[in-house]
Parts: sequence; structure tokens; C-alpha cells
Amino acid sequence: MSYDLFLGCVIPARLPFLEASSRKVFQKLEIALHDVDGFSCCPDPTGIELLSHDAWLLLGARNLSLCNGNGGVVSLCSGCVETLKAVNYCLNKYPNQKAKINEMLKDSGHEYEGNVGVKHFAQVLYENIDKIKENVTRPLTGLKVAVHYGCHYLRPAEIIDWDDPFEPVTLDKIVEAIGAESIQYDLKMECCGNPVAKSDKDLSTSMIAQKLSSIQESGANCVAVVCPACFQQFDFNQKEVNKRDNTNFEFPIFYLSELVGLSFGFEPAELGLNFHGVKTSSLIESIQPSTS
Amino acid sequence: MLILVLNYDFRNQMIGETASLSSCYQCATCSGACPVALLTNGKFNPRKIIEEAILGLDGKLIDLQEPNAWLCSTCQKCVELCPQKVELTEVFTRIKNESFIKGKAPEAFLAQASSVFENGIAIPYSKPINQRREKLGLPAIKTADAQEIQALLKSVNFDSNLQKKGE
Amino acid sequence: MMVQMESNSKQALVIGGGVAGIQAALDLANMGIKVHLVEKKPSIGGRMAQLDKTFPTNDCSICILAPKLSECSRHPNITIHSFSDVQSIQGTTGNFTVDILKHARYVKEDVCINCGVCAAKCPTRVDDEFDRYLRKRNAIYMYYLQGVPAVMTIDKDRCLYLTKGACRLCEKNCDKEAIDFEQQDEIITLDDIGAIIVATGYDLYEDIYPLTRYGYKKHRNVVSAIEFERMLCASGPQEGHVKRLSDGKEPDKIGFLQCIGSRNARDKEYCSSVCCMYTTKEAMIAHEHNNELESYVFYIDLRAGGKGFEKFLTRGEEEYNIKYIKSKISEIQVDAEENPIITYEDLESNEIKQMKLDLVVLATCIIPSRDGEDLADKLGIELEENKFIKTNAFFSAETSKEGVFTCGCAHEPMDIPRSVAEASAAAARAAEVIRGAV
Repeated sequence: MSYDLFLGCVIPARLPFLEASSRKVFQKLEIALHDVDGFSCCPDPTGIELLSHDAWLLLGARNLSLCNGNGGVVSLCSGCVETLKAVNYCLNKYPNQKAKINEMLKDSGHEYEGNVGVKHFAQVLYENIDKIKENVTRPLTGLKVAVHYGCHYLRPAEIIDWDDPFEPVTLDKIVEAIGAESIQYDLKMECCGNPVAKSDKDLSTSMIAQKLSSIQESGANCVAVVCPACFQQFDFNQKEVNKRDNTNFEFPIFYLSELVGLSFGFEPAELGLNFHGVKTSSLIESIQPSTS
Repeated sequence: MLILVLNYDFRNQMIGETASLSSCYQCATCSGACPVALLTNGKFNPRKIIEEAILGLDGKLIDLQEPNAWLCSTCQKCVELCPQKVELTEVFTRIKNESFIKGKAPEAFLAQASSVFENGIAIPYSKPINQRREKLGLPAIKTADAQEIQALLKSVNFDSNLQKKGE
Repeated sequence: MMVQMESNSKQALVIGGGVAGIQAALDLANMGIKVHLVEKKPSIGGRMAQLDKTFPTNDCSICILAPKLSECSRHPNITIHSFSDVQSIQGTTGNFTVDILKHARYVKEDVCINCGVCAAKCPTRVDDEFDRYLRKRNAIYMYYLQGVPAVMTIDKDRCLYLTKGACRLCEKNCDKEAIDFEQQDEIITLDDIGAIIVATGYDLYEDIYPLTRYGYKKHRNVVSAIEFERMLCASGPQEGHVKRLSDGKEPDKIGFLQCIGSRNARDKEYCSSVCCMYTTKEAMIAHEHNNELESYVFYIDLRAGGKGFEKFLTRGEEEYNIKYIKSKISEIQVDAEENPIITYEDLESNEIKQMKLDLVVLATCIIPSRDGEDLADKLGIELEENKFIKTNAFFSAETSKEGVFTCGCAHEPMDIPRSVAEASAAAARAAEVIRGAV
């Protein structure tokens, strides 16, 4: 099994440790991730798309045209997945737009054919959940995970076409497959608020604050995410919330690939867990006491 | 005195070929479910944005940004729940695109856009990051040729719109 | 009043013993035509028997229905086949042959006097379907108090004798020896049917589809409209004293949510037609039971298109403390005391508000009877895209097959007066076929 790998902008250039854990996990699962030269920004569905739909279609189609149809393209970022899926959806549904885009791509020698499937890395993990279970050597018993699905992993359901838009199960099942406990909490399906930060930082802080509050009430001891925007919002901005609201949130935030990696027996340092904003070491130590 | 003009061209532009904007029956499911509407006590209001789009009130939406479409968190709850399948975020995107053309996009968006225009990607690779990547055993990434991306973006007037600020 | 028919005349088959089927049967019977009325439940009466009151007069529903039930059972021209299904239909207009499967009820219909001693002795308790699972019945039971035929029925899946070979207390205690565990299902062939009327009524959205965003079946203080109807009814599970299912307290603030499942491009796209009116009715009756009650109706549009209907809504506002709020609700949360909380936009002030309620009633969409597709197949009639029976645009009694007619909610969502009117129309058309065109 192999896929083209779309890394996007944020993970490789700002959070490379998330890329590291993902590559290691996929390697263990014997799923090849093929690097492709020449990708641009996907473009960001919470950024560029809002400025110019045409630019978004153009660059998105170009990115897809670079993929070799290796089995499709996998992305580590929910935003990139949404863009690539939505571009496919749009150009598939409106052939006149597809023709127009291809006309514009001609000069740079690209052609969008519309035959590249797009998957979120968590989808691939879920599809290989049995293999994951086989590879678990250190089940994460003791981790009470507040799973945060985020928004672009699920919706709009017609475009994403994966898990249930309001009652999803895939990430909970993966968390359980690696021995951790998935904790229900009231605001589980709410947005982290990252996209609003570019317009109103305070509003964005309020959105993450209410999520953290709900997570605290639930008794969870960490959060799992599958999107770098959500990751940054949770990992970097807990201190913003604490500063503004006089709270003391300190939840370790994990990318799903990091949790899977830990359960496979990779050491925290190998996975780059020391690069997180909120320290993860004491929680991990409590569930996987190091022998050294 | 505030005079609002129903701009039929703007209205038709918002309706476009898709997004079923004109199917909206103003039931307020969207505003009732919107997390930002709740937090701003209705100051951001998806139903109102759609109402104004249907009425072609570009004076309110683009010039005054009331409500401010840029506050949408793109969570897509409204789209998923709308009983008439109005693609609200698609309509908001059209409004924001129009805003961009008129030089009214918020600064943070322009900054990201500039980076993509200059570099082809939103965040250029710094030396420390490349070193960290190496330490983590990650391959060097070869991203798009910036000039190629610039040419493509120029073909949709991206750069000229980027220059307009608060016209 | 009764017309004598030649003994070799064709007969009519009415499928469905709700108010529409009953009216059609009575009309035909009074014209001198023999009618076979088939009903899948143990008693005829249908949905109307479950209602407390009917709009816009707020008359007692069973009071209006019961005389018709009696008339049906005593009419010499009507044979009621209760607890029965249509198995197969062959033939063409004027000449149908129909097989009816009569399920065994293990009680002799001509002997049972409905004294109820058997039920009093029966040790098994089962959730009562007629009362929407809000109370228990026994394995031997009357479908509902005023049901016709007025005989008991044994639920073969819950009866201790029929499932495990034990008990038999009903049999031991029946003075009339009406219990017959040897009874079998039987096929009754009717080979002289001239015309068929389909009056199979409706099912409810919540019977088939989950309503998870509304917490239905999860939050105890969220109920459906038909459940609330049973709660309001004096002969219902709460004897007319409405009590919250979580703590037994009387609700003082009720939210009625309209368009649950209906008028939704992602769900049922049509309007369920009767809900705006029945919700107002329910709020009115509830207010009569409790003068402190505040009712809030959350709607998209208010549909009140009949005579006196608009006035009905106004009366609700002026006399029964009902507030109509234009804002459709898509989800319900609850607080620690199981009080439902809804978030909505107040369209007057454009503020987003949250309202805490004691009880929420969901006005759920009317959907075609769940056996409808199977029956349509057997009959060879077409269904439209929402699976209601496809009818002629101008002559709505006509289905796509000659000699087969329809009326009531099998055709589309409609209220009782309209169902009855359509029933008479279908009966007239059926009579035309049976008497032969002149």
C-alpha cells in the first residue's frame, strides 16, 4: 500500500515533529508515503480561499495534478484534506470550471485530471486499525483522552464523505485500539476557534477557553487532535487563556500519530514530544514509567 | 443617515450558479447553532449575512462589514444543519472575496497571502527548522517554484488585489 | 336506508382501519355494498384513537370516533378482519382476488367478552405500544380501552406459554373458555373483490429514524407530540396529569419544536401539514390542565390553512399563553437536572438566547406507513418520491392502477376532516366500479 504525501505548510515548516511521528507510524504499518516535489500551499481553506476562490481552485488543482495516482494522496492536515477534497468535488461537479482551470494550468505544464483520491491520515489509520492493534506493544492505559475531531475532518459531509458530521466514531476507535480511554465531554464537537484568530484574537481565545473548560470538567488528562491548526490552538494558547481568564489549564496535547507511535513503543524523544508547548513528559512518565 | 441600496448585481453575484442562496427561508437554524453567534451574542450572525446577501446589501456586508463575515470560524455547522442546503460558507467566501477585491480584507490574511505569493508556501523554511528536521531524520522538502506560483496567481489578479489596502 | 344487492355482486376491500378506512367502509356499506375492512392492529381506530382532542374545535377524539367504531362492528355489510395483513392481490379492476393473513390472537373472537380478568392475572409486563411505551400492558391485552373488536389478544412473542410452555393463567381464569392456544394463523381468500381502497395511514418519523441531536430517547424530558398527546389524555398513562418523565413534576414551561424531520432538504422535504395546528391544540389543552403553563412554539412558518385555523392560533396567543417564536431549533442540551436547554436567535432583537424549559415536545414528521412499499408492490400501484401513494393530480382518490383507490394520510399528510372527505370520495369511486359503469 502506498500514497503520495501532502505535508502542507504548517507541519513541515513549524511543527516537524508531527511529521516525524506520522512517518514513523506509517513505516511501522508498512504503508509507503511517497514524497512529491513541487507542492505549494494547498491553499489554506481558512486563508487564501477566503481571498480568492479562483486562486484557491487553481493552486489546489495544480497540487492534485502533481500526484501520481499512487493510490491517492494522504495529508497530515485536516485543512489540506478539506481543500483537496473540495477542489476535487467542485471541479468534478462543474466541468466548465475544470476546463477553465486546465486552460490556466497549461502554461505551467500541468493538467488536472480529477482522478486523485484524497484521504486524511487518520482515515488511513482507521482503515488499518487491525494492523495498528497488532503493532501495539505498550497500550496507553491510564491516558484519558479528550478527543477533539475539529471541524474540517468532518464537514461539510458531502465533500469530506468520511465520518458522521456530528456523531463521529473513527478517532475514538483508534484511541481505544491503542489502549487509551476516550472521555466524553459536553463541547466535544465544538470548533477550537483557530480560524477566527486572524480576525479577532479575543474571540478565538474564548472559543478555546470554553473547550478547555469542558475538557477539565470531564476528567480527561490530555487532548488528541488531527489538525495542526487545532494543535497550535490547544498547545500554544492554553497560556493565553490562563493569562486572560486566570485559569490554570495545562493539558498535554497529542497528535493522533504521536499517541499511536507511543503505543508502538517509540520513545517520546524519537517522536519529538519534547518540542511541545505544554510539557508531556510527566503524563507519559505516569503511564509508561521509563526503565532507565 | 444611513441609506442602503439593494444592489441586484451584487445579489446575483452572491447567488451565482451554486450555493442555493435563494432557497433560504430564514428559519434561523444556522444562527441558533453557530458557536460564534453565541459567543458574540448575535453580533456575528450567519442568518443575517445570508439575509443581506439575498437583499444585495453590499453596503452593509462589504463596506460596513455588518455582520462581519470574517468572524466565521468555518466550522461548517450551519452548512451541515441548514434544512434548505444553503451553502453558507460558500456565500461567506464570495463576500470575503469581494472584500478582498475592495481592499477590505483583514491584515493577517494579507500577510499569509503575501507569503504564498512570494514563496509559494505560507511559511518559509528557516535555518533552525531545517536543522531540526535533519535531527528528526526528516527529508528535505522541495516546494513549488515560487515564480510559477506567482505567474498563476497573477493570472487571477491576486497580486493587484493584494496591493489594495483600505481603498 | 340499506340497498339490497344481488347476491353475486362484487365486494369492496378497505385496507386500513383508521378514520379514513372506517369512513370509506361505512359509506360503502350504507350504499348496500359488502365491505371487508382489514386492519393490522388488534383493533380498528388507528391514529385518531390515540389523540386526546382534535383541532380546531378541541373536541374529544375518541368521543367522535367511537360511534363509528361501533357502527362498523355492527353493520351487516362490514366484515372487520382485525390483526390481519393483506398477503397477496391478483386480478384487475372489478375482479380482484385477495388473500388475507389473519394472525392468531389465541382468543376466540366470538366468545371473549372483554372482562379483563385474564389480563389481571397475566404475570408478564410489556411496554404498551398504544401508549407510546409510557406504561406497561400484559401479554394478553386490549390494544386500547375502546377498541373494536372488543376482544383480547395474546402477544405471542411475550406470552410465557407460547414462548416457554409455562403459565396458562389466563386460560385457567377465563369463565367463558375464550382462550385457545391451539389457534393458528389463517389465510382467508376473498375472490370477489371489485374495488380496493388503500387507507393505511401514517407512521411517525421517530419510529424509524433516530433524533440524536434532540436527545430523543436519551433525555427524559424530551418527548414526541404523540407521546405528549397520550400524556394529556385522561385515559392515558398519566391520566391527564402531565408529569415530567425525569422527576414526575408538572411542567410549567414547555417548548414545542416544529418541523422535526420535515421541510428539510436533508431529510423529509415536505411539510407535515398538521403539526402547527396540533401543537397549538396540545398547548391549549395543556394550559387547561395547568393555568400556570407558558408554552413556546419554535417554528419556521406557521401553517394554518383551514376554516378557523388562523383564528385558532390567535386564540392560542391571546387566551392560552402561547408564544410563537420564529426560530428553528436543531439541537437540545440538558442541564444537571435534566431540564432541556435550547439556543435560538431572537429575531426581534437579533440576540442569541438560551431558554431553559421543563419539557420539550417534538412535532415530528408524518411518514408513509412502514408497510406501504411492500403493499404497493403487492397491489401494483406506484409510489411518489417520498413513498406516499402516487395519485392523479386532479382526482386524488385514483392511484396508478384502475380499481384501486386511496384516501387519508396514505395519500399525503392531512388532518381528520380531509381524511374523512377523501374517504367518502374513494368510497364513491369504488362504488362506481362495483356497481359497474352504466
